[in-house]
Amino acid sequence: MKALIFDSSSLINLTMNGLIEILIELKKIFNGKLIITQHVKYETIDRQSSIRKYELGSLQIKKLLDTNILEMPSSLGIQEQEIKETTKEILSKVNSSYYAKEFMHIIDEGEASCLATSLIANKKKIENLIVIDERTTRMIVENPENLRKLFESKLHSRIILQENFDYLKNTKFIRSAELLFVAYKKGLIKLGKENVLQALLYASKYKGCAISEEEIREIEKMA
Amino acid sequence: MQEIKHVLDVLKEVEKAIISEDIIKLKDLSNQTIHTASISQDTDNILVAVLIYSISKVIERSNYREYPEWKSFVQSIKTHIDHAINFLENEDINKFRFEFKKLRKSITKLSGNFKFHVQDVFRKAEINKASRIYEHGISMEQTAKILGITIWELSEYAGTTGISNVNLNRTMSEKKRIQIAMEIFEK
Repeated sequence: MKALIFDSSSLINLTMNGLIEILIELKKIFNGKLIITQHVKYETIDRQSSIRKYELGSLQIKKLLDTNILEMPSSLGIQEQEIKETTKEILSKVNSSYYAKEFMHIIDEGEASCLATSLIANKKKIENLIVIDERTTRMIVENPENLRKLFESKLHSRIILQENFDYLKNTKFIRSAELLFVAYKKGLIKLGKENVLQALLYASKYKGCAISEEEIREIEKMA
Repeated sequence: MQEIKHVLDVLKEVEKAIISEDIIKLKDLSNQTIHTASISQDTDNILVAVLIYSISKVIERSNYREYPEWKSFVQSIKTHIDHAINFLENEDINKFRFEFKKLRKSITKLSGNFKFHVQDVFRKAEINKASRIYEHGISMEQTAKILGITIWELSEYAGTTGISNVNLNRTMSEKKRIQIAMEIFEK
């Protein structure tokens, strides 16, 4: 069993770019589950249904859930209560890790629920990746010191990091940009060849994927 | 409320900057407040940051002056800020907050296009300030939550900024990340 766990930021990115249905094609070749947590469902589907500008996007994501392209963690045998408890623990630890004049609240439930689902899936030997476009959650796990430096440079004050996040070290991340690269390489993007990859990557970047122009150039070289 | 003195000092500077129509000063004051807001995430600090930035935008757009209500609206902003300062000096936080609520409510009493434009300025100011807090390192969801906006709005705006080009964001080689992505599809 394997799974991709989607954060709100990556689902929203794909939707705003009119690319959310690529998940249908990706699922056909994935042989695993595409997962969203209850809180990500709330952020992308339930909450948006009352905001007209994003209602269409929210309906598109809902359709994927209704047709089992996206599935809840229970499809992996992970119970909601287990996610809630682990999410709470993660939130408590992460939000008491970076100290300025006080501990900074840096992530919230949706992001923490993705980390929780990944942790539980790892324990169950379910190979998984978190697909997340916002950069803070990724930095906490992959380079917490970089995040400390970022805080210091932006806040112009000393920041103390009091946690090494070892318990999260097996969590792996990709962004919508890398997912689109896979779709491109697998021939799932039916837009011809010319500049398609570049167009996909920049579209992702300009809808909030935390990827630099330098990284985009590097991906292009790998095509 | 945290750091009452800081907010008080900022509001006094705002008063002066409104009188002299110093837009740069207003934006600078808003940014100062955002530094504090990123750490404390104190709603009052955030409210003040959004308000100051919105005022700078209202004053900046010279075409707004053609609306008959412009003068009285700017005057009412000054009055509300003056009252808010008095309440803060007396450490009456509830009345301070209520004064800001009254200011926001006064926008709904404007008419026609002017009302629409000012409401739009305030909404965009919330998204702009959210983007600044996200830039400071707070996560997208947490930032959206404290500003009362959606992740959809923040993603759309943040994507147009230079936030994603910051070197510190880079936490793994792109070759390695692509490898991780490709591998899970090939197993």
